Amino acid sequence: MSELPAAAAVSSPPDARQQAHRAGSDWPFFAVIGGLGGSYVLLIVALLVADLAYTSPKHFAAALAKPEIQHAVRLTLISCSISALLSVWVATPLGYILSRFTFRGRWLIDTIIDIPVVLPPLVIGLSLLILFHLPFGGSNLEREAQRWLGFRITYAEPAVVLAQFAVACAFAVQTMRVTFDQIDTRAEQVALTLGCRRSQAFFLVTLPQAWRGVIAALTIAWARSLGEFGPILVFAGATRMRTEVLSTTVFLELSVGQLEAAVAVSLLMVMAAMIVLGIVRLLGTKVVR
Amino acid sequence: MIAQNKFGSRRGSINWTLAIILASAVVLVLLVFNLLPPKQPAGKPAEGQSGQPLVVYCAASNKSVLEAIRHDYERDYKVPLEIQYGPSQTLLASLAVTGTGDLYLPADDSFLVTAQERKLIAAEYPLGKMQAVVAVAKGNPLKISKWEDLLKPEVRIAQASIEASAIGKMVHKSLSSRGLWDALHDRTTVYKTTVNEVANDVKTGAVDAGIVFDAVLHDYDSLTAVTLPELAPVQANVAIGVLNASSNAKQARHFARYAAASDKGLLHYQKFGFQPAAGDAWAEVPEVTLYSGSMLRPAIEQTIAEFEEREGARVTRVYNGCGILVAQMKAGQVPDAYFACDVEFMNQVKSIFPEPQDISQNELVILVKKGNPAGISSLKDLSKDGLRVGIGHEKQCAMGWLTQRTFDEGGVREQVMKNVVVQTPTGDMLVNQMRSGSLDAAVAYLSNAAGSVDQLDAIRIKGIPCSIARQPFGIAKDTPHKQLAERLLQAIRAKASQDRFAQEGFLWLAAEAPAHE
Repeated sequence: MSELPAAAAVSSPPDARQQAHRAGSDWPFFAVIGGLGGSYVLLIVALLVADLAYTSPKHFAAALAKPEIQHAVRLTLISCSISALLSVWVATPLGYILSRFTFRGRWLIDTIIDIPVVLPPLVIGLSLLILFHLPFGGSNLEREAQRWLGFRITYAEPAVVLAQFAVACAFAVQTMRVTFDQIDTRAEQVALTLGCRRSQAFFLVTLPQAWRGVIAALTIAWARSLGEFGPILVFAGATRMRTEVLSTTVFLELSVGQLEAAVAVSLLMVMAAMIVLGIVRLLGTKVVR
Repeated sequence: MIAQNKFGSRRGSINWTLAIILASAVVLVLLVFNLLPPKQPAGKPAEGQSGQPLVVYCAASNKSVLEAIRHDYERDYKVPLEIQYGPSQTLLASLAVTGTGDLYLPADDSFLVTAQERKLIAAEYPLGKMQAVVAVAKGNPLKISKWEDLLKPEVRIAQASIEASAIGKMVHKSLSSRGLWDALHDRTTVYKTTVNEVANDVKTGAVDAGIVFDAVLHDYDSLTAVTLPELAPVQANVAIGVLNASSNAKQARHFARYAAASDKGLLHYQKFGFQPAAGDAWAEVPEVTLYSGSMLRPAIEQTIAEFEEREGARVTRVYNGCGILVAQMKAGQVPDAYFACDVEFMNQVKSIFPEPQDISQNELVILVKKGNPAGISSLKDLSKDGLRVGIGHEKQCAMGWLTQRTFDEGGVREQVMKNVVVQTPTGDMLVNQMRSGSLDAAVAYLSNAAGSVDQLDAIRIKGIPCSIARQPFGIAKDTPHKQLAERLLQAIRAKASQDRFAQEGFLWLAAEAPAHE
């Protein structure tokens, strides 16, 4: 329980009966907020328990033993990490611009960034597919990308990252923008007054204060990428041993009635998420300190 | 100075920040480097195989069976398959947008029909059939054995969407036509987007019964199928399509033939609960024998050559007069397919080719030298004194037989026959003799003269309907190469082939093949 504010200490001390009454009256409050908040936690725990009850260690072992699922685990971890890092790299400057500067057309950029959040994910995948195959000047983006980069985008590993990034980055931008909104501009203004360039003020003053937000954006983007399914299915496909990530594995197992395997893989995703996000938060806490 | 002190104390902070930024960049580069899998040493492709991976778009519901076929094919031919699984409709949209890929294997052939309408499919290979059944938990706890049991109030029913799924559409159409739909619709608890979701609902116990395809239940040990006569007409075909977009079409067809071979892919289809199609036995270079009237050779030769190249197959052609060909067949030499010059000759071997299809028609004409120096304008003119006339042999070819009938019909048989100096088994021979000057006139098909317009003129025979011949194509009922022969027929019915027939003077009769070839 927090201490009483100083203003309260000025008034005459309450009598014992009043104190007893007030102490007693907090319990219903805690019961209500604990009940409401706890009901959601209970729901999630119940879901996990149900999943655990539906599958078995045998299904779990069988899923982990499959080379394609091992490949999917590896690709999931790598692609989610890339898309999360890319999201933070993009979201930090974008969030900063939207938070600190007023300019013509800002509302439009704001709206554009919200599009991936409100659009059905499948549409993002389809739009990526169309974008890369829209003919222009006798060629298309896919062909040009292959020519300049030397590797395929559509239906290949880069498509997985792009599909994840297209959605996850929007969430990271929202997080970073809120982070910069909450950081008092006063310290930054003082740094500028003392002769700092805008970049120095950003790197010396603002960014160190925004680390919690960066870690939050990173975890949100990573988690969002992990759960991404629709855009990956359309833009990267679900090619076994190539573009299959854990979310598409769940879909494929469901498609052939392997509910136990689907649940086992889902639990694997939960475990992977808990481990990775735990590590990120741990490192983040150390960085912030 | 103040600023310098201030920031001097923060130097560690900026270094720390930059270090983290740089570290994240290094991690990003390392992860990107690791994203692309290491190149795996591929086995040496078998002779004649390209080794280039085949891209297959496959309905997720066919995953188990296709993985089994893929295993065999990669083992036998060292050609890697890149299979993309997903919902049939989503895959169809993807391949339409990207214009890439080699093969498309949807959950049922209704998607192939849509793909054909969009001109995406080059060829189709049937794999099997599926029957609509009611899926219930093993042991059938609610004892559903007839239609009335299914409609009991205590039975919770799941169906596939009538808009989004093939089975939903088919069940709706079939039951509506017999007045059974409304009762089932009223009793349906939930509609799902795919047939697998329906099966999953029955498996989890969310519903008691679901209408699914029997093949789907192969993957569900805890479910059993109840066959109801009301659902008997609801059947779907499964087929694999070779895409027009394929950059590796020969290999794609090779795999499609492998998947559709009775002793290769179809064994897996049977094992996985499908009713397999009547596929051909596997052959590296499959072969069919085609007997064909000589008159058809110029119209079909190029089409057949292209077919052989595409399919990696061999078509042994035997061109001759239809009378001779029929005699050979009656003597026991039965080809896989027969393309007759006229219905009359197909009728003589109807027992071997029970379902012939009319492809084209051709008319008899009087061939004369360029400029028509003999002034021939009708059949009667062929009886002019001193005229050397050539006709087809009535026993050896349809053309000769038709010619005799036409003479009879025109009432000129006796007068013209006294001028006939040669009877040949094929129209080509008559054309050659006309060109060499050994004949003044000949009665042959318009198509025979197509290649000699610079030297010959054709005079139409008017008012005698029997002078027109129809050319039917039949596939032998006992052929072990039914699928290949069917595809040959599709090739002959295709647009490009139609144009060749027209160029050769034939009139087209058959419906155009559905977008193939």
